[in-house]
This record gives sequence, structure tokens and C-alpha cells, in this order.
Amino acid sequence: MRIKTIVSAVVLASVLFTTTLLEAVHASTPYEAYNYNYWEEAVASPAAFVPSKTVSGSDLGIGPFLEPNDMVVGTDGKLYVADTGNKRIVVINPDWTMNRVIESVDGQGAFGTISGLFVDEDHTLYIADSGLGKLIVLHEDGAVKLIIDNPQSDIIAAGFKFTPTKVAVDSAKRMYVVASGVFEGIMQFDTDGEFLGYIGTNEVKRDYYEIIWRLFSTKEQRSQMVLFIPTEFSNLDIDQKGFVYSTNIDLNSPTPIKRLNPSGEDVLKRYGYFHVKGDIRFRLSVGPSIFVDIKYLGDGIYSGLDSNQGKVFTYDAEGNLLFIYGMLANQNGTFKTPVAVEYDGVNQLVLDRAKANIHVFKPTMFGELVLEASRLHYNGYSAEAVPVWEQVLDLNSNYDIAYIGIGRSLVMSKRNEEAIFYFEQGMERDQYSVAFKRYRREEMKEQFGTIMTTIVIVAVIIIGIMIWRKIRSKRQGRTTRYSAGRDQAL
Amino acid sequence: MKQELIDFPFQVIFKPFSSFWDLKYDNKGSLRASYLLIALTIIAFILQKQYAGFLVNYTDPRVINSLMDIVTVIIPFILWVVANWSITTLMDGEGKFTEIVKVTAYSLTPIVIVYIPMTFISRYMAQEETAFYYLMLSIASLWFVWLLFVGIMTIHQYSATKTIVTMVLTIIVMGIIVFLGALVLSMLQQIYDFIYNIYRELLFRT
Repeated sequence: MRIKTIVSAVVLASVLFTTTLLEAVHASTPYEAYNYNYWEEAVASPAAFVPSKTVSGSDLGIGPFLEPNDMVVGTDGKLYVADTGNKRIVVINPDWTMNRVIESVDGQGAFGTISGLFVDEDHTLYIADSGLGKLIVLHEDGAVKLIIDNPQSDIIAAGFKFTPTKVAVDSAKRMYVVASGVFEGIMQFDTDGEFLGYIGTNEVKRDYYEIIWRLFSTKEQRSQMVLFIPTEFSNLDIDQKGFVYSTNIDLNSPTPIKRLNPSGEDVLKRYGYFHVKGDIRFRLSVGPSIFVDIKYLGDGIYSGLDSNQGKVFTYDAEGNLLFIYGMLANQNGTFKTPVAVEYDGVNQLVLDRAKANIHVFKPTMFGELVLEASRLHYNGYSAEAVPVWEQVLDLNSNYDIAYIGIGRSLVMSKRNEEAIFYFEQGMERDQYSVAFKRYRREEMKEQFGTIMTTIVIVAVIIIGIMIWRKIRSKRQGRTTRYSAGRDQAL
Repeated sequence: MKQELIDFPFQVIFKPFSSFWDLKYDNKGSLRASYLLIALTIIAFILQKQYAGFLVNYTDPRVINSLMDIVTVIIPFILWVVANWSITTLMDGEGKFTEIVKVTAYSLTPIVIVYIPMTFISRYMAQEETAFYYLMLSIASLWFVWLLFVGIMTIHQYSATKTIVTMVLTIIVMGIIVFLGALVLSMLQQIYDFIYNIYRELLFRT
């Protein structure tokens, strides 16, 4: 017992001293960066993003934010923050100076509860106001372009109350709206605000335990039970091809993140080692990741924000988990109630409702390299990605995706034997098989002469032995017959 | 040795009925060869974990432990033999304990002669061909069960249904033995703790 205390004291002291020493060398993160390996273990990894600063309303000289709910970065780099509690929208320049504050809309008066914001390429601002129950579209100069407050359609029930919470707009200016109390999917509106229909219903999950339980319960009991209704979407974003990235808060679903094509089917690629669902290992008391926002970073890469544990998960186009950062805590660079994640092309921004500020995360060398290599790979420049992946491996030799990336490029340049090595390092069996088959064929072709010669020699030897045995047995047979005859004669 | 380790096992796997008959009444096969076959089975499993091709080898190299492989073969083997002997003694089986050992060990022959070559062939397989690997492994396992069935039936002179019932019962009894063993171990642990505590108490009081 005493030895134990001494040992732990020594270990603690050494950790304490080394960390204080290290702090002088490089900036540490308040959270522990990690990633999952093939065996689904969380292993330490270099941080991809580190907190660089936090910005609050007071820093901008407009008084503190009050329960901000959403933010969005425009194509010009301006940041729009929905300062919900103060009923205003704050527009911030890329250099973190104030641009303007939108407090009211012409002819509409003050805002109600601003839940969602979106800015399209023409800097048109889309405001989902769940308090007023209106979707407000403003031109860049603040003039009202369109207001949707009461969508009409045959498939919308009478007495339906429109409560938009999140909005996204594609390049054809179709609006995709997540509204609360709508279980049919994401509402789709055309440019003029006409309701087009729903896309992408979340499937109802059947629980076998519930079904059996239902079989044995009376009608009264059944009416008391919870209804099986599809979960609502929690947030959405749109990529340049017009595909909708959506999140829902369906606990324990393997598909909380979806990529919906125009007909509403989920086409997200999930070729990674495990489901695209945030943390794959978690304490039961903590629970799985709950995604409240998603941001498309371009080139197939997207980041999901988990409000349950305050982490940002970034995936590439094929569903590989690239990196994880963030945590719930009180330090700088950690969150209390994260509600929105954004990307300004370099930094990632996370909006915190409880702390009422914006956290800015800047990429580390590791993060930059991983993103660069993923982008190169996505755009088909596999060979160009190889040196970048090699640099990534220098920083983190456990980074499986880098091995697979290098292996793919080697396969394309027909260096199959080396590719086999890299795929084995990355535990990628399908690609390994492809490379291995080619390598085997090549080897067979090359060694064909030797193999055939060996076969012929072996065959000749075997036949020779058989013939020799036959001759020998014949000779023996002759001698015995001869002797038998002689015996008879005698 | 050649006769009992090479000729007889091959005779067993292709003609189980007559071979097991010989085993019982002509005293063919030996305990020494049985132990060797068990050792070969263990080696086959170890080789498979260590050297099977990447495409079929899902073993985490960090958890490979040959001692565990030995235990996972020998313990079930002993449990099976003991449980089967206990059950068949009560159910008018004619087999002796050594006969059960021999039959079970000789039934492992297909595992040995399929697993070891397949392990090395699997290193030259592509993804599509791995189906063949798994097919061969399942054939080996089914073959083992078939031989065991025939063997138990022959040495105890049972009918087919009675053999199946006995085998199922044997598996249940194996579970019971494990349960009782765990119980006894935990009881011993408790007793040890109790005595140790008394000893410490006495030490402190005096």
C-alpha cells in the first residue's frame, strides 16, 4: 500500500513537471486529441485544431450575446450570428470587427426567436424565426425579398403551425427548412416560397422488445404507450452539388448523419472502419454523440458537432473519421453548450450558447496536412497526395487513412508489392485484395518458366520411377514364374 | 508409431465405423498417439492465428497467446471426456474412459489435416477465394463432429438417437462442471480470506 502511494506520487510528480516543461515548448490543448484505430480503441493523436481565441459580444463592442443559437459564414467571409436572446443578428467582418447589427425587418417589426440562419452566394440572408413562425429572406441591403409564414399544400394538414428552426439553400435557390413538429422530413420550398414537398424521412426504428411487449398489453395500456414516430432532423447543411447533409438526434442510431440526394435518399458513403456516428466508444452514463450541427467543409469533408460531449468530428468523403477535437469544460477552447460549427476556409468556429461566445480553432500542421491530403485524394490527385500523407505519417504513424491513401496511389502506379504493405498497415482488406491479386498475377507471369520447368521435371521423375518399378516387378514376376515352373518340373 | 499415428487416423476419417470398432475390440490406436493428435490440433490453431493470410486473419496480433490456445483446447477436451464418461456410465455405455479419450482425440484428425495446409494456402488467396478457405474450415469442423458422433456411438454401443441425446447431455454436464468448479474456487477463495483475516487479527491483537 505504501509502495503504491510512493509510486503514484512519483508518477504524478513526473507528469506534473514534464507537462509544465512541455508547455513552454508548444501550446497544449485543453482537450485530449484522439482517434479510433482499426480495433475500435481510442488512441492518442496529434491535435488537428487548437483553440486560438474566443470572441464575445463585448469584444465587438455591442454588449454580450444572449443565448445565441446559430451562425453562418458567408462566401465573402462575413460571419452572421443569430443573437437570439437580444433579438438581433450580428454581422462580423472577417477581421473580427463589427459590420452591422440587424435588429428588425421592414414591415415586420422585431424578431421573435431566431433559430437558424443561412447566407447564399448572393449574400441573401435567410432567417428561420421560430418565435414568429416565419422564414424571412432578406437582400444584402436589408430589404425584404420573401416571407414564408403559412405554407399551403394538399399534403400539409389543416391547422399546421409553421415553426422553422434551421434553413439551408442550394445553388438553385431552393430552400430546405427543418421545422419543429414536422416528422415527414425536411420541408422544401422553391425560390418564390412555394412548398415543394418533404425530403428524407428518418426511418422509424422497430424495437423487438417493444413489439413483444405490445402483443401482451391491453388496448388501454397501448394507448398510454409512446408513439413510434420518426425523429426530427436537428440541423442541415448543403454542399456545392445540392446534396443536403442532415443530422438527427436519434439516440443509438448508426446513421445520425445523412447525405440526402434530391429524391431524399441517404447516399452518405460509409466506407470507414465504423459507423459515421461520432464516438463509437462511450460510457453508458454519458451516452452516444448527439449531433446538433453539421458543416460541409468542401471536397467531401464535413464536420459534425456533438453537443453531448462537446466534440467536433470531421469525416472525409468516404466516411473515414479524420480527427476529433473539443470537450465540455470551463477552460478557454472548451464548450458548455455548443450549438453551431462553422468553417471560414481556414479556422473552425464553434458557437457556444451558454458561454455566449464564439470559439475560434486554428488548424495545426497535422490538421492542415490531413485536410490537404484528403482534398487532393477527393479530387483525384492521388499521386500528389502521397508526399502529404507521408508527412502526416511522420507526425502520427498510427494514422491508418494515410497508409490507405499511399497504398491507393501505389496501386494506381502499379507498384503492387509496396501497395500490399501499406494496405496491411492500414488494415484495408478490400484494397489489399485488389493489389494482392495483381501482384500474384505478375509473379505468376514472371515465374511461369520456372514453375512449368519444375512441374515437367517432377512429372518426368515420377513417371520414370513408375516405369522403373514396373520393370522391376515384371522381372521379379518372371523370375518367380520361372522358378515356379522349375519347381513344377522338378 | 507410424501405424497408429499415420495409418490409423486416415483409416478413421474415411471408415469411421469399422475403425472405431477396431479401436474398441482390436485395441487399435494408442493413448500416446491421442496426446500427439491433441498437441497437433493446438499447433494447428496457433499456426492459424499467427500465419493465416491477412485477408482471413482477424486476430489482433497483440492478444495472441499460445498458452491461451493450449488451454482453450485442453480444458474443453478434458471436460468433454469427463462429462461424457460420467453420463455414459449412468446410461449403460460400454465405453471405457481411455476409449473416450482415444475416440475424441482421433476425431480431431480432420481439423489437423485441414487447418494446417489451409493456413498456408490462405496466404496466397484473394478476397473472392477466401470463401473456399471458410468452406474447408467448416467441412473440417463438421467432419470432426461426425467422427465424434460415430465414435461415441460405436464405443458405447448406442443407437443414433441415444448418441445424440448423450452428446447434448454431455455438453450440459460440461457447463455444470464449469459452474461447480467456479463455485468451489470462489468458496476456497472465501475460506482463504477468512483464515487469513483471522491470522492477521491474531497478529494485531497479540
